Amino acid sequence: MSFEEFQNCARLYVIGALEPDELQKFEAARKQYGSAAEDFINQCYGLHEAFALSLKPAKASASIKDKLMSMVRERQDEAGAKPS
Amino acid sequence: MSAADPNLQAAPSSNLEVQSSAKPVAVGVELEPGAPSDVDLMLGIQSGDADALSQLYDRYNGIVKALILRIIHNDTEADDLLQEVFMEIWNQAKNFSAAKGKPLGWMVTLTRRRAIDALRKKQAYARAEERLQAEPEQQPLAWVQNTTEKEIEAGDTRALMAKVINSLPEAQQQVIELAFFQGMSQREIASNTNIPLGTVKTRLELGLKKIYDGLKELKDEF
Repeated sequence: MSFEEFQNCARLYVIGALEPDELQKFEAARKQYGSAAEDFINQCYGLHEAFALSLKPAKASASIKDKLMSMVRERQDEAGAKPS
Repeated sequence: MSAADPNLQAAPSSNLEVQSSAKPVAVGVELEPGAPSDVDLMLGIQSGDADALSQLYDRYNGIVKALILRIIHNDTEADDLLQEVFMEIWNQAKNFSAAKGKPLGWMVTLTRRRAIDALRKKQAYARAEERLQAEPEQQPLAWVQNTTEKEIEAGDTRALMAKVINSLPEAQQQVIELAFFQGMSQREIASNTNIPLGTVKTRLELGLKKIYDGLKELKDEF
């Protein structure tokens, strides 16, 4: 697999769209290209941010944050000051 | 999803590392002067600071909920899942590594996985497919709705992202929509749209490359 082919696969990989047979070849190429491959994959995760940032933010129910912080405080009480 | 999300696999518990040279391509949200960075907030969460989680929630709950809603299409369930996602962020913060990407990317990956799992668990997947089949032409438009030239000129992040995505042919937007927001594999997309598998793959590759290149250009402008 050329590095250009690897790049095409990497963009599919980060959105979970590689088929199992493609995944095997991708993983082999990933090992072959080493840190360059890992750097490129990390860059591709920016696509996730981009897709999320393209959406119009949605308003959450006001009670959600209160419930969340209450659960966090309970968890802190149970497990000390650090997250589990 | 047909592949694992490696960023969600347990990272060493060595907490945050120095940013590598491989920066994600997306442009982030703008912060008020003096506001802690996302990485600062993740550091705080890793050390058990509930206020850091509170600030991260205030900063991103709208984006996270929008992503959940885009996947599960139910407001009440989206609120429940939003709470679960931020609880998971609190619980899993130790697995975040800045060397592997930005906090928002990590959160989005986590959120997407949870939302797609929820979608499949409650077997709403089939209903979503029916909805998508009924409105194939509307999906890409819905994805980038309400973006105005004024927002684009003002450098609004959402508008700029939407502009990049909207520059794709609708056929490419459609397959990316199904892969990213519905978690469909290439074969599932081909089966649901009656598009040949090879065409699905080509559209995905071309579309994602265009978005990637477009975002890189965008990032270089900032």
